[in-house]
Amino acid sequence: MIRALWANIDYVASVVLFLIGLYAVIAKNNLIKKFMGINIMETAVFALIISVGTVRHGSPPIMGAGARAPFINPLPQALILTGIVVAVSTTALALSLIIRIYRQCGTIEADELRRLE
Amino acid sequence: MDGTTLLPAVVVVPLLGAVLTPIVGRTRARMAGLWALAVACLTAAVGTALVALVALRGPFSYEMGAWAPPWGIELRMDEFGASIAVIGFLEVLTMLFAIKYVEKLLLPVRIPYFYTLMLLNAAGMIGFAVSGDLFNMFVFLEILSLSGYALVAIAGERIAEMAAFKYLALGAVSSLFVLLSVGLLYAVTGTLNIADVAKRLTGTGYALPVAVALAGLVLGFSVKAALFPLHAWLPDAHTIAPSPVSAVLSGLVVKVGVLGTLRVLQIYYAARPQQLPVLNGMLAWLGAISIVMGAFFAIFQEDIKMMLAYSTISNIGYIFMGIGLGSTYGLIGATVHIFNHALIKVTLFLAAGAIIYRTGCRNLTDLRGVGRVMPWTSAVMTVGALSIVGIPPTAGFLCKWYIALGAVQADKLMFAVAVLFGALFILIYYIRMVNAFYFREPTRPEVATATEAPLSMVGPLVVLAAGCLLMGVLGRIPLSFVEPAVLRMLGQ
Repeated sequence: MIRALWANIDYVASVVLFLIGLYAVIAKNNLIKKFMGINIMETAVFALIISVGTVRHGSPPIMGAGARAPFINPLPQALILTGIVVAVSTTALALSLIIRIYRQCGTIEADELRRLE
Repeated sequence: MDGTTLLPAVVVVPLLGAVLTPIVGRTRARMAGLWALAVACLTAAVGTALVALVALRGPFSYEMGAWAPPWGIELRMDEFGASIAVIGFLEVLTMLFAIKYVEKLLLPVRIPYFYTLMLLNAAGMIGFAVSGDLFNMFVFLEILSLSGYALVAIAGERIAEMAAFKYLALGAVSSLFVLLSVGLLYAVTGTLNIADVAKRLTGTGYALPVAVALAGLVLGFSVKAALFPLHAWLPDAHTIAPSPVSAVLSGLVVKVGVLGTLRVLQIYYAARPQQLPVLNGMLAWLGAISIVMGAFFAIFQEDIKMMLAYSTISNIGYIFMGIGLGSTYGLIGATVHIFNHALIKVTLFLAAGAIIYRTGCRNLTDLRGVGRVMPWTSAVMTVGALSIVGIPPTAGFLCKWYIALGAVQADKLMFAVAVLFGALFILIYYIRMVNAFYFREPTRPEVATATEAPLSMVGPLVVLAAGCLLMGVLGRIPLSFVEPAVLRMLGQ
């Protein structure tokens, strides 16, 4: 069991990071901290998908002189590039919403906001 | 020209239109509205042509950049993808309705951006519906979700930003569950093409990651669909948003979650049907609880838009119950209810929007007697109410009847009882509404002096109400249209 986990340490780390992020989203009171939790979850998912395509001692799949197998799968990296764009736009929207909440209510603590409603 | 080349066009047209909207509306805000309306009309026309093609010769696909799947990105059009015609049609009517509505509600500088977001949202939904690739599906899901969050906050009313943030936080977490599961499926199968994933899952071992991916995908999509107990974001977001946005969010955007669930089940029915009974049982129960809880909370709402929002939760319950029953009739009923509920809920939210536009009131007690001053809008609202309860000649009846039949077919009579109870609860709260509109004296001067909504609002409303009645009379057509897709999915 432990050996199996150790062999897949990259996946295990991603899952742990994902859960840490989820914890922050649920338990933190400050809206910015909540959103940082989502950012941590994003990083975890990206790391997982990138590590799926990685091969030990692999080289980039660029053909030509000196190309030598095994190659790293470039598809996950292309996917995650798109994923990062999505994550950045989500973050931008969330932060601008938080700024507007602060201007209107004077606080970004979830419990105080609930009382204000 | 081959008809399949229309398939990328149906996504590209609204995307391009969205980008160009701020330029078109730079000097005069109304131009942006007319432009968006024109783009929506074109999208709807292309969508209808594609659905006609599916009806004629069955599912087909388009390879992006002529790269053959599973390497290239595939756009796939099947019977479930027929929702693009419904999306296009409802977007046209919503845009027409929105022109007058947003002029009153928003600052002129914001109006072009409103239409940009609406078109982006439509493009996301259409892209999601026709995507044949898991990651592509995720990207379109994010396009439609992000524009949805922004649309909730756009009017900046009362707690709009709070509601939008709550929606965004839950939405982002659910999207990450979807992406994580897509990553897991890619790790196990080495492909992202939906048909190819189904094929390769059949042979592989890895029971655990495959099951986790199923759970993650269904969890993610049921947050988007607001299935109980993951519905907490919906009532505030759908109430605070401007009425045309509420109509789109409630009628169409939550259905994307359902459609996503159907796509996932398509994969798993083909590859691992043995993993499904537990999930199906859970979905059926959560659906039944959604029906009852949503309807129960709706009874106590004073705000008409809040009432409609809870009624959405209840109707999503019907759809998930139909899916969870796993029987032919249940699935056919659920699929058709996706379309019919979209039609009915857009009707109801737009009618509520017209009433709010004229009177400025949204509470049932304040709206007493509105049926006398706004006869057309109130009549439309009544037709919508009757349809959503499922009174026989209207759109809601046949699909709920099929879901109940599905419960009988799956030998789970309990659920048929839930269908009946749900309809009864829904009847109670819509009777409250109709009673307040027609049989009570006006209490507010704004209501007593209000006039009928302008033609650009009443026009779409009457078309929608006619649609609700027509879908009831012609209900056989969509039922027989989706039947082959459901039979293919269940492997019969």
